[in-house]
Amino acid sequence: MKNRLKVLRAERDWSQAELADRLAVSRQTVNSIETGKYDPSLPLAIRIGKLFGHPVEEIFIDNSEE
Amino acid sequence: MPAKSVATQTPLLARPMLWGATWFVAWLGARMVLESASVPTWGRVMAALAPAPIAGAALYTIIRGARELDELEQRIQLEALAFAFVLAVLLLMTLGLMELAITLNRDDWSYRHVWAMLPMLYFAGLALARRRYA
Repeated sequence: MKNRLKVLRAERDWSQAELADRLAVSRQTVNSIETGKYDPSLPLAIRIGKLFGHPVEEIFIDNSEE
Repeated sequence: MPAKSVATQTPLLARPMLWGATWFVAWLGARMVLESASVPTWGRVMAALAPAPIAGAALYTIIRGARELDELEQRIQLEALAFAFVLAVLLLMTLGLMELAITLNRDDWSYRHVWAMLPMLYFAGLALARRRYA
């Protein structure tokens, strides 16, 4: 699954550690999501959506839809 | 409840490690007692069972700590344990079959020695899982 997390984070000029603190996860989790190695759980995806003010489906894009 | 941030995860991992170290020290103490010929049988049995309550406390702390980890760390721990469990079963099963096939030297291949490989399998699994998500 692709995602726009890195772009959204860069727009706000946040470091991975800063975003991790805001989401109450580890920096490794943020890095793994950004690099597409790990797909977050639904509760975490919703927290990400709320934090950036976007619907989850605008941040996470299912590859199979392409 | 949201997971703890990375800053608070280190103590969560440190506490189980501390209990693990205490468990290991208890095992060393039990071995020292059991290798002494002058200890009566009841004392030897007590020494053999002494690490068990410490292992129970370690297990309680480890499970509480695991619940507090963030979701990726929980996934990593699960993969490490799955890796270690399958290889531990394979190791013990193969050892059992080898005992039937040939005569194994008990000084090298008894359970007294083989258990030490199990934590090593866990740490190998942990390294592999961490590398996958790095």
